[in-house]
Amino acid sequence: MKHKKILLPAIIFIIISALLILFSLSMGTIFISPVEIFAGITGTEPVPENFIIVKMRLIRIILAMTVGASLAVSGVMFQSLLKNPLADPFIIGVSSGAALGATAAIVLSMANIFIVLFSFIGGLVTITLIYFMSKRLKFGTSSMILAGIALSFIFSAAVLLLYSAAKAEHVHKAIMWLMGDLSIARYSILTEISIAAAILIIISMLYYKHLDIISFGHSFSKNLGVTEKDVAAVFWIASLLAALSVSLCGIVGFVGLIIPHVIRLFFGPAHIRLIPLSALAGGLFLMTADTFARSAVPPYEIPVGIITNFFGGIFFLIFIFHKRNAV
Amino acid sequence: MSSIFELNNIDASYDDITVLHDITLKVKSGDFIAIIGPNGAGKSTILKIMAGIIKPQSGSIHFRNRPMQKQSRRDLAMNFSVVHQFHENILSFTVYDFIRLGRFPHQKLWQIETADDRAIINSAVEMTGISPLLNRQITELSGGEQQLVFITQALVQNSDIIILDEPVSHLDIHHTTLIMDILHRLNLKGTTVITVLHDMNIASDYCGRICALKNGKLFFDGTPDEVLKYNLIEELFETPCVVLENPITKKPFVYPVPEYITKK
Repeated sequence: MKHKKILLPAIIFIIISALLILFSLSMGTIFISPVEIFAGITGTEPVPENFIIVKMRLIRIILAMTVGASLAVSGVMFQSLLKNPLADPFIIGVSSGAALGATAAIVLSMANIFIVLFSFIGGLVTITLIYFMSKRLKFGTSSMILAGIALSFIFSAAVLLLYSAAKAEHVHKAIMWLMGDLSIARYSILTEISIAAAILIIISMLYYKHLDIISFGHSFSKNLGVTEKDVAAVFWIASLLAALSVSLCGIVGFVGLIIPHVIRLFFGPAHIRLIPLSALAGGLFLMTADTFARSAVPPYEIPVGIITNFFGGIFFLIFIFHKRNAV
Repeated sequence: MSSIFELNNIDASYDDITVLHDITLKVKSGDFIAIIGPNGAGKSTILKIMAGIIKPQSGSIHFRNRPMQKQSRRDLAMNFSVVHQFHENILSFTVYDFIRLGRFPHQKLWQIETADDRAIINSAVEMTGISPLLNRQITELSGGEQQLVFITQALVQNSDIIILDEPVSHLDIHHTTLIMDILHRLNLKGTTVITVLHDMNIASDYCGRICALKNGKLFFDGTPDEVLKYNLIEELFETPCVVLENPITKKPFVYPVPEYITKK
């Protein structure tokens, strides 16, 4: 009975994933049929001329999966840590710190690799500041959120100051970054960041029991032996996942908020299922959104953040009205 | 009997308002203690201090003869369990997923559930009789069923010492009796039970010892026969009452007297 309960969703999930990946490989400025893709993968002669495009799309899919999975898992962890269903990976201001770093690098006409580096440093500085403030405030949820909001305002002011002094082209580039765009990703460090994200997601899985307990509140966690060190570890894993994603391709909204909710509605709040399923669903959702972003108006690309925000918002409203008791 | 908790001259306050003042209390192994008193007397605070959730302003607290602050949270969690009053923090976990969390302090980060863990879970489920509820979501259960689930989770964590904050408030008499009977059976098997109760008659029927708090001070501490006297209860609650004998349990039975009678 128990195996059947897991087996059927797993099979459905694998089929949907395979279809979505195939769809994503086919779609783009040039349509490549699944038959050609199979020929390329299996090495059947002749290898299609445009198979190189498939390889490029595959890298893009890996990027979308990495970012989507990281954001979804980070969202799961923050929602548990802050006991707030509206928490997302950017709630503590990681995105504002990263935005400041990235904007500074763009305004100073630095090479693209520095945009990644500066935004990651910006995110990291924010996390560190919030961590020490939260530690002082005993990881109180409201104080952690409020401290994040305060920092976001400060960083946003600094970003606006940079805009006011920057050239128009730099401002445009910075705004595109803010929208969340997978086309701006720096593929040279994709492997390293993907590995780091995968390791963090695996470590987050080890904390599934902690996360279950933390979501029941402070007193309950304390009496079950969850220490401040455990809470700090959860905080750092969730924040680093957010910072890695944001440094790779800007602020992709909604994935970290909506995906955990949808998975929770279908599979319940226990983190042993919530973390891996959110990671998979987050990856697939962002990959599909990105496929739309790069195939909707060829040869242009819409920043994927616009797609995730727009469809994510509609999707979420439908859920709220259909399952309002469960949200 | 060895000492479990030893509170010496405890003072506690929230935002400069003193909630507990100079409390000295010793809980011995095998005790079944009810903490009673008017609203705002500091009952939940004393429980939170024993549970290590809040620290006293002054005074000392020892758990099994060692200062509590020198013991790790994990060690304390392995030695006693607490049944909290959940308000809005209940999530739609299945009952089984929730009660298995009780094994957490006994497991390492990497460790999955062992046969021993499952045996402990099964025996707790058997004790409270919640096996028909195991696959249901906690949020779907009635208040009484939820309380049974919380107690089962606490037993899965540790069945030697159990601390409960108003476990039967707002429950019907069926569930109240069911839960108090479970606690009674546990106590007969050697479990130390410390619970905040509102109903003095339940305390009288089930508990070997009743401690009363008034305005943050220990008002009395003794067996039901020693402390449930009408003059003490009247002073404690500032309400006229009569104390009779429960014809079934032969324990004191407190009955508050309505104003329309006292004014006659």
